[in-house]
Amino acid sequence: MNLLSVLVFSPLVAGLIVLVLPASLQSRYKYVALAATILQVLLSVLVWVRFNPSLGGVNNEHTLQFAEKLSWIQLNVGGDSRLQIDYFLAIDGLSMPFLLLTSLVMFVAVLSSWEITTNLKGYFALFMLLDTAVMGVFTAMDFFLFYLFYELMLLPIYFLIGMWGGVKREYAAIKFFLYTLFGSVFMLLIMVGLYFSVQDPLTGDHTFNMVHMMNPANYVDGSLFAKFSGQLLLGIPARSLAFIVLFVAFAIKVPIVPLHTWLPDAHVEAPTPVSIVLAGILLKVGGYGVIRICYSIFPEAALGYAWWIGLIGVVSIIYGALNALAQRDLKRLVAYSSVSHMGFVLLGIASVTAEGISGAMMQMISHGFLSVMLFFLVGVIYTRVHDREIANFRGLSQLMPQYTFFIMVAFFASLGLPGFSAFIAEAFSLTGAFKSAGVNGLIPRWMALGGSVGILLSAAYLLWTLQRMFFGQLRLSGGEPWRLLLTDVTIREKIALVPLAAMALLLGILPGVVFTQINTSVLDLVKLVNP
Amino acid sequence: MLACGAAVIPLLGAIATYTFSKRNRGSGIAIAGSVLTFVLSALVFYTTWDHTAIHRQISWFTIGDLTFTAGVLLNNLSVLMLFLISGISLLVHIYSAAYMKLDPRLPVYWTCLGLFCFSMMALVVADSLLLIYLFWELVGFSSYLLIGFWNTRQAAVLANKKAFIINRIGDIGFLAGIMVLFSQYHTLDLVTLFSDHGLVASSPRIGGVWVGATGQLSQAWLTIAGAVFFFGAMAKSAQFPLHTWLPDAMEGPTPVSSLIHAATMVAAGVFLLVRVFPLFDQTVLLLIASIGTFTAFMAATIALAQHDIKKILAWSTISQLGYMIAAIGMGSPESAMFHLATHAFFKCLLFLSAGAVIHELQHHYAKSGDTTDPQDIRNMGGLRKKMPVTFIVMTIAALALAGFPGTSGFLSKDAVLVSAFGWGAAEQNVFSVIPYLLFVTSLLTAFYVARLIFKVFFGPAGQEELHEAPAPMRWPMIVLALCCLFPLFSVNPVSFESAWIMAGFYLNAVEAGAYHTYVPVLVSLGGTAAVFFAWFCYGRNRSGNIFTDKGMLYRFALNGWYFDKLYLAVFVKPVVLLSRILFGFDKKVVDGLVNAVGSLGLSLSAVSRWTDRYLVDAAVNGLGSISKTIGNFTRNFQNGRVQYYLLATVAGVLLFFMFTYFL
Repeated sequence: MNLLSVLVFSPLVAGLIVLVLPASLQSRYKYVALAATILQVLLSVLVWVRFNPSLGGVNNEHTLQFAEKLSWIQLNVGGDSRLQIDYFLAIDGLSMPFLLLTSLVMFVAVLSSWEITTNLKGYFALFMLLDTAVMGVFTAMDFFLFYLFYELMLLPIYFLIGMWGGVKREYAAIKFFLYTLFGSVFMLLIMVGLYFSVQDPLTGDHTFNMVHMMNPANYVDGSLFAKFSGQLLLGIPARSLAFIVLFVAFAIKVPIVPLHTWLPDAHVEAPTPVSIVLAGILLKVGGYGVIRICYSIFPEAALGYAWWIGLIGVVSIIYGALNALAQRDLKRLVAYSSVSHMGFVLLGIASVTAEGISGAMMQMISHGFLSVMLFFLVGVIYTRVHDREIANFRGLSQLMPQYTFFIMVAFFASLGLPGFSAFIAEAFSLTGAFKSAGVNGLIPRWMALGGSVGILLSAAYLLWTLQRMFFGQLRLSGGEPWRLLLTDVTIREKIALVPLAAMALLLGILPGVVFTQINTSVLDLVKLVNP
Repeated sequence: MLACGAAVIPLLGAIATYTFSKRNRGSGIAIAGSVLTFVLSALVFYTTWDHTAIHRQISWFTIGDLTFTAGVLLNNLSVLMLFLISGISLLVHIYSAAYMKLDPRLPVYWTCLGLFCFSMMALVVADSLLLIYLFWELVGFSSYLLIGFWNTRQAAVLANKKAFIINRIGDIGFLAGIMVLFSQYHTLDLVTLFSDHGLVASSPRIGGVWVGATGQLSQAWLTIAGAVFFFGAMAKSAQFPLHTWLPDAMEGPTPVSSLIHAATMVAAGVFLLVRVFPLFDQTVLLLIASIGTFTAFMAATIALAQHDIKKILAWSTISQLGYMIAAIGMGSPESAMFHLATHAFFKCLLFLSAGAVIHELQHHYAKSGDTTDPQDIRNMGGLRKKMPVTFIVMTIAALALAGFPGTSGFLSKDAVLVSAFGWGAAEQNVFSVIPYLLFVTSLLTAFYVARLIFKVFFGPAGQEELHEAPAPMRWPMIVLALCCLFPLFSVNPVSFESAWIMAGFYLNAVEAGAYHTYVPVLVSLGGTAAVFFAWFCYGRNRSGNIFTDKGMLYRFALNGWYFDKLYLAVFVKPVVLLSRILFGFDKKVVDGLVNAVGSLGLSLSAVSRWTDRYLVDAAVNGLGSISKTIGNFTRNFQNGRVQYYLLATVAGVLLFFMFTYFL
């Protein structure tokens, strides 16, 4: 059994264990889940250690690592053609960091699931299913398998929000579901179209293998998505349309303005652990998809639309930040700040420079840790007093000094204070974007300068919040009862927060930890997209 | 190695105080760390000053094909700054131990102060722009923590937010500068970029094109790069129009104001400009000179009208920083650095003396339950006899600030002014007014500082039981006072050119000529006149004040030329309003569209439900009920009664015959 398969399916096993355990043991379910996530953390650390950073991967099947390729579905569909779907798991530098991110985030999410009190069996089973699906998305190299995992994420999230969420949970859940489904339905069409256009060079069968899809030579001459077929769909070149459709599907997840409105609702209504998974991992699935599928399979379309993608990035950065500035609910503020921070990812990717893409990767990882920390911290207050209106708190630093310490770390780290990962990430996304005009002429320089305004705005909304909620004289709208309820962070909460802060700090001081691992792959990707 | 040690010790000290400070409240550790830092810095200074520069680096991380390095660069500029910062911070540490003794959060204070010292020293020894930027922001962050140290005070937390955000505005400029240089040269290493034969110096500018090592940009970008670096420095060094944070930053504890917001951090902008000096073209230099001069003048006029003792000093700091910036703009970075060094001592001393006064008054008022503002100079007077040491050292510092002979300020201000006049003589246009403006500013400076001294120390004594500050506060002040005199800087009290700091930097032999003689004389004479005028206004006869508190100019100056109100109205409020509007847009339009699509789907489904129910289903149900009716009807035929069957048979036969016969 391959390491990746263990990584992907161990949570599923844990979920099954939860399902068969009798209800009398329901207070122990969380420990099963915790054990599974700890195992996952250890496994992904092992993967990290054994990963060979000199192998690029991306579009070269021989340099993909930890590969496991099994023939899965082989159907004779009449004549000499066969349906070929492989169980193909592998990683390269573009996916490897996400494994560790996912397992750490899941660990923290399980720790914050202590607050869940109802229907524990269903909750933890779904949670473990979600874990498997996410891991699967990051490791699948067969489009069909990828799509399967991708859709599989949707189901648990829908129920987790819809059943354990806040007041408007059903609205939020269905909104999230429809938004995502809207993207993925069309993705299915493109996937089928790709399948019929691509041939496995060895067997001659049509294939879902993503690595084959990245090589123009594998396309059947004259097929729909062949590079020079010149086929039109709805009046635009088929490959461009395919790129747009796939991009929209993933961009909804990222999310981009104006396809972002599911995110604040989903976050606000979701219970803390689900917010954590949403912000920490699901948004990265969007960015990962853009890199792995849109850019790698349709590079020339990606270059053609670079200007627009850069623009979307800048608009998301500024629009998200300005919206965050207007929020009164702390959780909604953090949600909008995610929109803003993920804008840097798009801007960096759009530049197709090593700096920009490395910055974008770093931003995804960094935002993974930091947004998780932020949502966890919001959850800490919310579980205590069931309120998170900024105006209802003041001077919290006197009541909860350690909590304030963590919130300051999280706030300053996410506003890009040097020494934390977000600084490196944002600085290099912007540098890459700026450099692009001189190197490949993809995006104009003003976009980089415009994006840097986001750094200013993030300081504004975060410091304003800090000043309003944590400094000044203590004043709580809930009065004395709240004062008693608002105890400082517990040991369990510290166990969740410290690794996140430590990771943000580590990657800020030694960004090489990540850059070394991804560098070869990033360079290969740049070469693939812009030869 | 030593320099690294010197820079890192405050950080270790900070962590140590934070970790183990329960018992002895951290003062011991903090001061010991500070002493060690100073000793190491002094060693580094001794071994490196006027020797060849030391440059050590290690590779930090690699992106693409480019490796980013981290390292230290020790040349005259950095070791001078290192020495200066560690010396002053040692004195401020000792002073703080007494000043902050009663504060319940003293360990936090030491931690923040340690963090600041670490960032500042690392900033000056860093060898690449990326590292400088990194520590540049950390300096801003520790300043944020320290301004808001008393974080239950609303004014303090508003001030630190403002300071950080305005500095962030400047940081964007710095970052933009880094981006330009990086895309032009693919490196951020200071030596590679800015040494005498570095990339910047050797990249030709041909026909409006700026040719770099790896690419070329239009020459406008060279100007932009210089301008944005200057923009970054503007925020840190509180230059117009990004100066408004510094007066508010005085909400922090006074030792902090002294160390950070007077002597060291605000000098970081000047330091940066000197570091990247080769980058500036003529346009940028002119911009720098103009902004610096304007700031110097504006801040001096504002200082004239302030009542808060720390605010006066804060505006004075802005004004003096303006001198340094102007000197850089006029192509004389060495005199800027000289003024930076002398200013660090005398301004630090002014703040510490002010702190001593405030400290004593505060205790006095706290004891008697008085709510008088201990920082308002209108409530002070006659402190000369109560606090003689403070009086003497503060007067020395004031004389240095005003630029009187025998003080260090005389030398450095002359260095700036002489090079200004030399530069102005070459300018034929409107910019030739710059040296004169700087000269007028020096008179204003003499006036407002004399006003401060006279108001605080002369006149009738108010409070009876005041006494001198405790020894740990007094001694640092005395040491600083000695450093405000000329011997530390030059053996010749009247010639700035014999100052070792000037000699230590590349002297571009200022073509001063006659200015060298009459500028110092004029400055001294004018300054003396200004002091006498101040004595006439505030010292001799305190009631007969010729400056009333009513004039329009007075209010203009008191409110800092209304920049705060302007920015609030022009930037802050519109941005907040814009954010509200955008959120409304997000909720109503973007989300409204999504919900509209949703409800469209719902209404479509309602229509199809209706169709399904009343048309499709109705048809199906109709068929069903028809067959049911028929079935029911025919069921009646199967009721099992023989008579009925017989009747039916007869009726059937009858019907048959009727049909056959009649049809």
